[in-house]
Amino acid sequence: MTKRPALIVPAVLAGVLLLALAALYFADSAASLPSFIPGHEAGSAHHHVKHGIATALLGLAWLVFAWFQSGPSSSKPTATRGFE
Amino acid sequence: MHPISYFQALVLGLLQGASELFPISSLGHSVILPRLLGWDIHQNDDYFLTFLVATHLATALVLLGFFWRDWVRIVRGLGRSLRDREIAQGDADADARLGWLLVIATIPAGLLGLTLEHALRSVFASPTSAAVFLFGNGLMLFGAERLRRHAPVRRGTDYSDERIAREVSYREAVLVGAAQAIALLPGFSRSGATMSGGLLVGLSNVDAARFSFLLATPIIGAAAALKLPELAGSQGDGVRGPAFVGALAAAVTAYLSVRFLVRFFETNRLTPFAVYCTVAGALCLAIFAVT
Repeated sequence: MTKRPALIVPAVLAGVLLLALAALYFADSAASLPSFIPGHEAGSAHHHVKHGIATALLGLAWLVFAWFQSGPSSSKPTATRGFE
Repeated sequence: MHPISYFQALVLGLLQGASELFPISSLGHSVILPRLLGWDIHQNDDYFLTFLVATHLATALVLLGFFWRDWVRIVRGLGRSLRDREIAQGDADADARLGWLLVIATIPAGLLGLTLEHALRSVFASPTSAAVFLFGNGLMLFGAERLRRHAPVRRGTDYSDERIAREVSYREAVLVGAAQAIALLPGFSRSGATMSGGLLVGLSNVDAARFSFLLATPIIGAAAALKLPELAGSQGDGVRGPAFVGALAAAVTAYLSVRFLVRFFETNRLTPFAVYCTVAGALCLAIFAVT
């Protein structure tokens, strides 16, 4: 996988933001969510647990991506297809 | 009085365990069979969903056990790559690469499942829809065999996982994984979608089946685990006994099915399942139309 160090900071930021959003989904009811966040529903006591899980998964994915980007560059020849 | 009798639980469990791994849609069959037998069981009933959680959990545990050694290798590979912050290219660490292919393929299916499952289940819960989709599943399997990139059987000296790791790119893994979401429509098969996807990205039947079974474990297990509190909570009252029987039955047929299918796909194609789905879907539609 080709390393792109410039993507590390944005990926970490995206990951942390998404994890924070996931925490919000778990902690707050639909009515308490800020109105610009998907799932906001005035008067609803429902907790969007599935939204929270999905957001947490995306956040973790960004952090793992950042982790790999921060690793040493590979000097081995590429033998497979992919993002590289 | 249980909402599902023990006999019904046994039959539905046996059916679920087998049809979950055969590319013929377990959900579709679970929707169609009660209607054909005149049972008062509906896909959207809470107790039935709770029952399905138990049978899915059993299937996931059987798959985990069946491929236990493979999962140990794969998880170790994931650990190695995280430690090294590097996914080795080619065959250098096939376990790590296969592990990340599985992770990447599971993410889109998980996201789509989490966001669309309820809406799709509400809209397409009828046996007639399931029969239409079962017919569509047959066409999908026919199409995959027709459009495949390689011959159905590829005999090589290298291990199946190495071939999968070498031949499937990350982008293709995302596509194969996302294809699983079609199984949210009762009648389309999750394993059928992933096997079809595997064939389209260049895998042989046996490799596509293996990739499909490995993909099944986390997604089925996670879906079941997510709804496990419902089985343990008040929603499970009156259905836990039948659910336990159904889970045991599903575990037996899931084990026999995976053993059979791993060997079957060494020399065979998806075509018999495509024929079954199109014929069964058309027949069910005809029956539903006249009854």
